[in-house]
Amino acid sequence: MEIQTSPPEHHPPPPINQTVVSKFVPKRTKNLVPLILTRIHAGYFRITLSLGWQALLWKILLQPIQDSKIAIRAPELFYSTILTIIWSFSLVILIVLSLLYSLKCIFRFSMIKAEFMHHVGVNYLFAPWISWLLILESAPFVTPKHVSFVILWWIFAIPVIILDVKIYGQWFTKGKRFLTAVANPASQLSVVGNLVGARAAAKMEWREVSVFLFSLGMVHYLVLFVTLYQRLSGGDRLPAMLRPVFFLFFAAPSVASLAWYSISGSFDTPSKMLFFLSLFLFASLICRPALFRKAMRRFNIAWWAYSYPITLLALASARYEEEVKGGVSHAIKLLLSGLSVLVLLALLLLTAFNPKLLLPDNDPILLTTALPPPPHSSNSNSTTAPLC
Amino acid sequence: MENSDENQSPREDSPEELPSLIRAITAHEVAGFDSPKDHDDTKVQLQSTGFHPLSASIFGIEAAEAEDQTGLSKSQRTHSVSFSMPPSPIEAHIQNTKRVLFRDTETILGSSLPNSAASYTNFGAQTKQARFYSQPMPKGSVLNQATTSGKSANLPLRNPRIEKLRDNRYDSFKTWSGKLERQISNLRGKRQEPEQGSQAKQPAQMESVPVDRYFDALEGPELDTLRASEEILLPDDKQWPFLLRFPISSFGICLGVSSQAIMWKTLASSESTKFLHVSPDVNLVLWLISIALVVIVAAVYALKVIFYFEAVRREYYHPIRVNFFFAPWIALLFLALGVPPSFSKTLHASLWYILMTPIFFLELKIYGQWMSGGQRRLSKVANPSNHLSIVGNFVGALLGASMGLKEGPVFFFAVGLAHYTVLFVTLYQRLPTNETLPKELHPVFFLFVAAPSVASMAWARIQGSFDYGSRIAYFIALFLYFSLAVRVNFFRGFRFSLAWWAYTFPMTGAAIATIRYSSVVTNLVTKILTVVLCLVATLTVTALLVTTIIHAFILRDLFPNDIGIAISDRKPKTTRRWYHRRSGSSESNVENYLKYSNSNGKDIEASVCPPSYNNQELSASSAK
Repeated sequence: MEIQTSPPEHHPPPPINQTVVSKFVPKRTKNLVPLILTRIHAGYFRITLSLGWQALLWKILLQPIQDSKIAIRAPELFYSTILTIIWSFSLVILIVLSLLYSLKCIFRFSMIKAEFMHHVGVNYLFAPWISWLLILESAPFVTPKHVSFVILWWIFAIPVIILDVKIYGQWFTKGKRFLTAVANPASQLSVVGNLVGARAAAKMEWREVSVFLFSLGMVHYLVLFVTLYQRLSGGDRLPAMLRPVFFLFFAAPSVASLAWYSISGSFDTPSKMLFFLSLFLFASLICRPALFRKAMRRFNIAWWAYSYPITLLALASARYEEEVKGGVSHAIKLLLSGLSVLVLLALLLLTAFNPKLLLPDNDPILLTTALPPPPHSSNSNSTTAPLC
Repeated sequence: MENSDENQSPREDSPEELPSLIRAITAHEVAGFDSPKDHDDTKVQLQSTGFHPLSASIFGIEAAEAEDQTGLSKSQRTHSVSFSMPPSPIEAHIQNTKRVLFRDTETILGSSLPNSAASYTNFGAQTKQARFYSQPMPKGSVLNQATTSGKSANLPLRNPRIEKLRDNRYDSFKTWSGKLERQISNLRGKRQEPEQGSQAKQPAQMESVPVDRYFDALEGPELDTLRASEEILLPDDKQWPFLLRFPISSFGICLGVSSQAIMWKTLASSESTKFLHVSPDVNLVLWLISIALVVIVAAVYALKVIFYFEAVRREYYHPIRVNFFFAPWIALLFLALGVPPSFSKTLHASLWYILMTPIFFLELKIYGQWMSGGQRRLSKVANPSNHLSIVGNFVGALLGASMGLKEGPVFFFAVGLAHYTVLFVTLYQRLPTNETLPKELHPVFFLFVAAPSVASMAWARIQGSFDYGSRIAYFIALFLYFSLAVRVNFFRGFRFSLAWWAYTFPMTGAAIATIRYSSVVTNLVTKILTVVLCLVATLTVTALLVTTIIHAFILRDLFPNDIGIAISDRKPKTTRRWYHRRSGSSESNVENYLKYSNSNGKDIEASVCPPSYNNQELSASSAK
């Protein structure tokens, strides 16, 4: 069990979090829905992210080699069955989760605001929109050029852009919330959001919009990559329980590689370079199991963060294998796809058998609401919530 | 001090200044001699060498005496340094109290002197094995003092003992603390001895030295100068064994010379430089020389790995030296790049995979350290030598592309480019938390030029032509080169070190990139640039060669004692209060003060410390 000191508060935390949590603990069994409303946060959309990417992976793996655009085809019955099953399952989960989260927005809006203030939680506000974009893309019966696709794309992409403007603007203008203070590996999720939007736009053949989103994402990825590698403030920007989000390090270049592939039409050198970078970072993280040891002690929602980066990498490797045929690329693709399926299945099983652990009463995103102190100024107090 | 009371065999010729000491030594030695285990050991050992058993103990005593004398006749610091090394196998045998005493320098000043003397004898008695087979080193001063102490009768026979006693101080740096040497000597035909319990010891006493220790204890652009307040584990008045003094930065010589070979090869074979009429033989000669150098340096360093693995580990943990672990592999890549055309036109592709594998694994480790935060994160340890970790990627990409491989070079180019961006930004920022950036200009800054110039050549090979990407990288390299060259008069007053060779290959790399560029854009300007840069590179290498020869043969200090790896694992207690932290890290100020301030008002080194910090500490501690 790790014990982490609570952060020196710069402002008193909104008391509602603590009281709400403590109020519901004893009445857990009777007030399930209010409990879920309280405990749920945007990080739960990791589940839908994983499922959505998995659906997309299967869609791409199972379609025969054609041009890069998703088109209506008449797949064999077997393939379409699998795809439909996976896709509908993801859709159902996403709808349920979105409903719950919108209920929370209505009834517990202050908690949503608190999430927005949290340096890790704010990035997960991108997650619902990314999930919806993915569901849209991986739908087996929708063509990108269809009107409904376009409309839905706009519906989901606008919030992404709004969030971009808000969050990226804060990085370089706002007093306390500047980048070196808030940067953490989960910030790469915002980059992923932009790149997913860019990819979907490229599928719609909206060239300019997709390049716009791509460049936005890449520029901020560059800044973020450098900042994260520098680790100015050491390892205490991220609670140990959230270490699985380190996997986002190689998720971002993978999705960048896919986005560039969609924009340029073929898996050319920049895409390859981004893919190789994410492979290297993946290898680098795999070789460091000690980094994740603390997070692996107990199952929690952060474990879902393992799944979708691997799926992303598998997707990129599938595209790579289309371009560079050969034993090595084929082996990489098979390995990564197999790994992503395994991880997803394991996570699904764990979730099914431990539903209570999904709603812990000490989630770091919910409990810590104060902005972590900027580096250089204070002692080495950790900024994480107490975990028991 | 149970031994000081016994006074069995007073020695007439013992120096007057240490009567009680000698008694203590003698008594304990006899006691040790009487214990069956030691007795057997010494007997066996002596039989193998033909010495009389009794005289062995005498030798031990006298050796300890001599040791003691030489220790005490010097400064306290030396005295304490000799015995403050944690992981000696000797100390496992000594009672814990005594071992603790070794760590605290000032406690040896006081009444613990006899204790340490007794420990000396333990040292002497139980580590005969350790000493016996270690490398004899000429210790002129020790012999002189042993001579003057008046034990002339047995002096010739005593010499090996004294030398071997001296060598124990290096045991902590030897592989398995000297066990390997004993094993090897055993294999060479000496009698097998029973393993002593003391040798089981060691443990993790030499565990990884945290990077903070290096920053605290060392200073200078290459982090090889000891701060005034620090101490080292090995004697700083003696010349250490050669292997201990041989740093990994010696591979810089191989880098410098082999890159010259590549330059002359390119000069000879490129169309834009045909007007110079350079003969390919220059490349051949240089290449053969560099092969010889690589073999020699690698062999010596391999010996160091075998015999002084502990020292190699410490070099690995040194924040600057760790980058030089890439140097051997880069040197091999340079050799492959500089192969004279008369030898072979193309090399086999598998060679590339073999050469890149160690670089790949080293990278995984080092870049992962940067990324995962912790004590070796980049904002803390970034220094220009980190370029050596990055350049390997580009050199490998260049070699692979010249061999015709496609995917592998792009892989390493991508990884190198991403990490180079990070490093470049970090170094340009010169963060206040960055401990290792030299405040003044130093030849290490030339490493900035290395990565862009090699990257431009690699990209040109990958793409097939010197396109815009290559040109951008090349111009960046050129700009950095000129901005350093115009400041050349600021490169003054630095102590020469072997690592300077590693800083010459960027100049050569820039010259080669210029040659490539001039073959694409051929006009008078580029040709002049080519000639100028090649001249500068050649002159620099020649000047460096001359300096190296001067240092090697005339000044004889080419391999000084490698202070950087011999820092102690913990700060010396007396100086902890005066521990001067870098400005800007206030959290460590507070932390240090809370941890290390002691109420001992006396301090030997009060005079040498920066006043501002001291006054604060003094007033705070005197208030206690």
